[in-house]
Amino acid sequence: MADGAESHEEVLKGIIGQPTGKAKVVIERGTVQHFADAVLSMNPIYHNLDAAKAAGFENIPAPPTWPFAMEFAAKYEELQPADAPTGNPLMAAVGPLIAKGGLILHGEQEFIYHRPIVVGDVLISDGKITDAYQKESKGKTMTFICSSTAWSDEKTGEPVVTATFTLIHRS
Amino acid sequence: MGEHKLNFDAVTVGDEAPVISHKLGRTDLVKYAGASGDFNPMHHDEVAAQAAGLPSVFGHGMFSMGILGSALTDYVGVGNISRYQVRFTRQTWPDEVLSSKIVVTGKREEDGKKLVDLAVTLTNGDGEDKLVGEATAVIG
Repeated sequence: MADGAESHEEVLKGIIGQPTGKAKVVIERGTVQHFADAVLSMNPIYHNLDAAKAAGFENIPAPPTWPFAMEFAAKYEELQPADAPTGNPLMAAVGPLIAKGGLILHGEQEFIYHRPIVVGDVLISDGKITDAYQKESKGKTMTFICSSTAWSDEKTGEPVVTATFTLIHRS
Repeated sequence: MGEHKLNFDAVTVGDEAPVISHKLGRTDLVKYAGASGDFNPMHHDEVAAQAAGLPSVFGHGMFSMGILGSALTDYVGVGNISRYQVRFTRQTWPDEVLSSKIVVTGKREEDGKKLVDLAVTLTNGDGEDKLVGEATAVIG
């Protein structure tokens, strides 16, 4: 068993710094509005273009936690960068743990915003694993994997938002 | 660019945003799954959740962060947040009443920007915290 644990430690060390992917997302009104509804925001700025413009936005903005969802909800296959890395080191490290059981939990999430995301934006991501480690807590093995994804404006190259994600596997 | 809500000079440390409360329903989780693309069955499939040893489905952490984010933008104005960070401390369960608590913890000026720091939490009816975090808003 000790050997197994050791080799997993090495797997974890090995993924630090590895890219988690490059993606292109297209920010559209339908998906953003649907998301605003799902996070129970009735603010007219998310639902009415006139209200958004009156508040100084060029178009309807996205709610603050949309950058986490857009990676799944706003991607089109033929638009994805040709040089996007294949496979995700996060899944490579977590897959064998999931196979053995236990629970995957979202530990922490952080967003640093450089400007609001608005409908019409096309954004490009650049993600990497920033940390990966295990610790024992109350007789459970806790595996922590942190990734950081920087999103920038495709047109200008300017940074838009950076999302930092901590995943915990508990078994 | 941003909705005008707070007046920097009038904001005082200790100020609290209006509390937003919501009783978590399974429909909320189905809606959030569809809007976010997160179809982990533990959040919408009661049969699968119970087979995994859980009492029922439980809420997406990002649903909690999302509704707390809505309370946050209602207070500081859409488009004004420069940082929003949370730690997910406990799972959320259907029929729990989730309430936001947003408190001003600081005011500062940095690079000519007026910043307001906030402590943010989401708790259930028993006062247990589900999310604990921080946010910073740029006001004017």
